[in-house]
Amino acid sequence: MAVVPGMTELTAPYWEAAREGRLVIQECRSCGQLSHPPLPACPRCHGRGLGWREVSGTGTVYTYTVVRHPTHFAFADQIPYAIALVELAEGPWLITGITGCPPDEVRAGMPVRAVFREVTDGVTLPCFEPAP
Amino acid sequence: MIARAAAIAGIGQTAYAKALPPAAWELAVEAVLAACADAGVDVADVDGMCRFTAPFETVSEAMLVRALGIRELSFFAQAPHGGEALGAVVAHAAAAVSAGLANVVVVYRALSQSRGGRFGRADRGAGESAADIVVPEQDNLSFAWPYGLMSPGQLFALWARRYATVHGLTDEDLTRTLGTIAITQRQYANSNPAAMMRDRKLDWETYQNARMISEPLRLFDLCLENDGACAFVVTSAERARALRDDPVYVLSATQTLSPYREPMGIYTGGEMLELFPPAAADRLFSQAGVSRKDIDVAELYDATSYMTLRSLESYGFAADGAGWRYVLDHGTGPDSPLPVNTHGGHLSEAYLHGMNGILEAVRQLRGTACNQVAGAEVALVGAPAGSATILAR
Repeated sequence: MAVVPGMTELTAPYWEAAREGRLVIQECRSCGQLSHPPLPACPRCHGRGLGWREVSGTGTVYTYTVVRHPTHFAFADQIPYAIALVELAEGPWLITGITGCPPDEVRAGMPVRAVFREVTDGVTLPCFEPAP
Repeated sequence: MIARAAAIAGIGQTAYAKALPPAAWELAVEAVLAACADAGVDVADVDGMCRFTAPFETVSEAMLVRALGIRELSFFAQAPHGGEALGAVVAHAAAAVSAGLANVVVVYRALSQSRGGRFGRADRGAGESAADIVVPEQDNLSFAWPYGLMSPGQLFALWARRYATVHGLTDEDLTRTLGTIAITQRQYANSNPAAMMRDRKLDWETYQNARMISEPLRLFDLCLENDGACAFVVTSAERARALRDDPVYVLSATQTLSPYREPMGIYTGGEMLELFPPAAADRLFSQAGVSRKDIDVAELYDATSYMTLRSLESYGFAADGAGWRYVLDHGTGPDSPLPVNTHGGHLSEAYLHGMNGILEAVRQLRGTACNQVAGAEVALVGAPAGSATILAR
């Protein structure tokens, strides 16, 4: 059992790319502004021509927490787990999970890179692991 | 906002407890009747209501109008973002009174967390299947919940960790700071008969050894979960003076919202520590016509102890990044420069989404609080990110 994203017309391309192992961020075709989560118009130039840009998948941990007490039964068997806000090399931030190291080893400022975790048949979550 | 145009003429509350037999609707009725009785107004004369939006507030104004036999409301409004709306509901009620939209506005909040909606338990609901849970398509929750970021406590843990990182606190510095806040609030609660934690002492050893919930936040850094209700009556200053000798005037109340600053949203823009913009705090004080020094007591929304710490900075009682040293040096107790959460706050009195903080400010300004701040004339009640109010006698 998993908690899976509800997808909208606006957000489906993000999750579809994740399923293919790619991290994409919404990009304004007029001014290049990157927005995450996606928006219906560019907040900088108000352009409506929005597309998707595949990003490097590298970034750093901006802040994090290690969850040791579940607030939802869906995550009870994953305790302890690390949640982080990651700042991508391209600028945008995203909430994510940190895998590939014990939760205790997560630190602010830690370099990380994207990995893709399939949680159900149809859903893959972009997560991050320590960068070598 | 016109200072002193509106006033709080009555307050009411139910008992606060982990589980109360009445449902939220009945608790709301009890609190509203108590507030009207305290104000000396007939509940039938209530013509305005202001509340928190669903799903936070499950008791609608329609339910209350029906249950209380109120003839007609000419004004009713809702404010979003949960406890962040604590100043918003005051602003809406005071604005309605000042604009002549209503004469007697009741603000209420009722919770029955024993019947569901608790974050502290990962209970599987009865009849829930093992099927995947699809996150509701709102407020970008789909970008947070699938990672197990589902509760305010977890979100505030991210803020607290960021604060420690930016301002160079060791884990011990952060523990001592948050612990000072939690233990001080527990001491206030120990002399507050209405507080759920009135008989439960909290010492350093117990605080420090408590289990981590979402690092760096421990059990006692997080608010209670409970049943209870609060209500208060807002009317014109003139009417309030006719009703009682000690009305509490609304000096100012403000809301604030900027991109990626919606509480419980996911913060993907700007420095996440800047939740209550300095401009909003300045607006709150300038409209009230008072300075930081004039605030005698503050009730700062504390779903977690970290929010009390950060709010001391946001509202300008300590410089950015200096709040933790301020707490370690001066504390927030009765003899500190600014007593904070004198009822015990959400950590130790009860969790009423900031409404019990408003009620405590009113008692302080009437001179009837359990932990009375001598001669208190001006009080600030503030949320970490969404709204705040300054009240005065």
